[in-house]
Amino acid sequence: MYKYLSILRINWIQALEYRGNAYIGLFAIISGLFIEYQIWSLIFDSKNMATIVIEGSTDGYNFNQLIVFIFLSIIVGQLKSSWMTSSQMIVEIRQGLINKYLIRPISYFWYNFMMFIGVNSIYYIVYTLLLLLFIFIYPDMLFQNNFSIIGFFITLIISIYISYCIYFIMACFAFWFGEVRSIVVAYNLGMLMISGQYMPIRLFPKEVLNILQWTPIPYLVDFPVSIATGLVLITNSIDKIILSLFWCVVLTALSKIIYNFGIRQYEAYGQ
Amino acid sequence: MKHMVNRYFKVWLAFFRNTLSRDMEYKTNFIFEIFIDFIYYGSLFFFFKVIFQFIDQLGDFNQDAVIIFLVTMYIADSLYVFLLGGNVFNINNNIKSGDLDFILLKPINSQFFISCRYVNTHTLISILILSVLLIKLTYSYHDNSFLIINYIFFIPSLIFGMFIFYSFEFIIASLSFWFRNFSYAGWLAGELIKYSRRPDSIYKKWFRNILFTIFPMAMICSVPSRILIFGVNIKLFFLQIFISILFLWITTLIWRRGLLRYESASS
Repeated sequence: MYKYLSILRINWIQALEYRGNAYIGLFAIISGLFIEYQIWSLIFDSKNMATIVIEGSTDGYNFNQLIVFIFLSIIVGQLKSSWMTSSQMIVEIRQGLINKYLIRPISYFWYNFMMFIGVNSIYYIVYTLLLLLFIFIYPDMLFQNNFSIIGFFITLIISIYISYCIYFIMACFAFWFGEVRSIVVAYNLGMLMISGQYMPIRLFPKEVLNILQWTPIPYLVDFPVSIATGLVLITNSIDKIILSLFWCVVLTALSKIIYNFGIRQYEAYGQ
Repeated sequence: MKHMVNRYFKVWLAFFRNTLSRDMEYKTNFIFEIFIDFIYYGSLFFFFKVIFQFIDQLGDFNQDAVIIFLVTMYIADSLYVFLLGGNVFNINNNIKSGDLDFILLKPINSQFFISCRYVNTHTLISILILSVLLIKLTYSYHDNSFLIINYIFFIPSLIFGMFIFYSFEFIIASLSFWFRNFSYAGWLAGELIKYSRRPDSIYKKWFRNILFTIFPMAMICSVPSRILIFGVNIKLFFLQIFISILFLWITTLIWRRGLLRYESASS
């Protein structure tokens, strides 16, 4: 365990060195929220709507509630994303650079998980500060009780883990196809929309929602955000938490199986 | 002048042939690249589909007009990626590693070389499919009539929009000369370009004025699509030409100023 914590610490130090990333991340959130704000204010104003129908809410959502929901969705969406770690894994597999992990007593899966957490660690600090600011501006809309705080952190950890497993599986395709960064890009672009990063998935048509329920996608953004905003009560969602943990187990097993098959294909090209 | 254009065109053709053969080395990735485009198009299309559950009109744009806007945006994006998009963010690596030396030594304009060296050949397929789709959509939008004058202005407007797109990305990437390592330039540029990916009419009036002038994101996709949807607005068209030339000129200025700061890092 100590060796993995060391990896985490090294990446944490590196992440703190490059603070520019955090500033751009902050700008990305505010800028993304500003665009959504413009669209939704146009919709609310033009129809003189007081609330909008949202799946799971009996009274619907007013404008401020919707903006807070989208704000938190953008934050969670960014925390679960990884451009850097997955790209690095693909390059390592393609160029035969994973030999060094194979001859050491270290798991490639957990090594990269610690990298994933470490690289994103700078965001955890900055986004927490931003979150505190939003709690101050909209006091009754986020974390109404201690359960929602605990529930949010549990489901956020699950979301990050599920997301990492999906990235790991995609990166493993490099064992067969060599260059697969385009799959990761396609996934990232698709997830911006499908996971609810820019628009709550609860606004999607029923048919789409029914399909999404059978995938781990709702646990990436929607579930943690719904708990934080009080749309879903943690005490009523034990079954959903169990289901999300089930996805963690399934995806971990799948990651290991695909990696083990892939490593048999691996020929250390370029070394 | 004619000789120079000819020469640069021949150089570009050589770049094209070279990158096409490189792309064919990774055929699966080539197919996936096309797949990415369609995922991206699909996700934005879906976004507006959900939005139109709640509203009939986004300012001047109704649902059909928004679809024309989206297809125009996809073409503008593909055109940019085809000609320039694969190069701009290599500027940071070239500066950081000192590889820019090799470009500066070549008997060619260094900005041209660094901006055009790699051609993203897969986008040709997207451009072809999207162009056919756009013609079909505009034809039915205008009650089955083909308004050729709109296309005559649309094509240059699309190209000038692409120059603005390029200028923004290039200027941001060139900041590497000052920051030494600016690997997040792509992310920052992507966030700024995002403003061009929504119809201008969603923004409030004061912000729209900004988007048509000092931060000309509406000039990239909204102006060409407005030409196709609402007809030619000469004032807007010439404003777009002026802004794109101005921004292109700023790129050359920044590139030259940046080169003066370049210290050939690792050589």
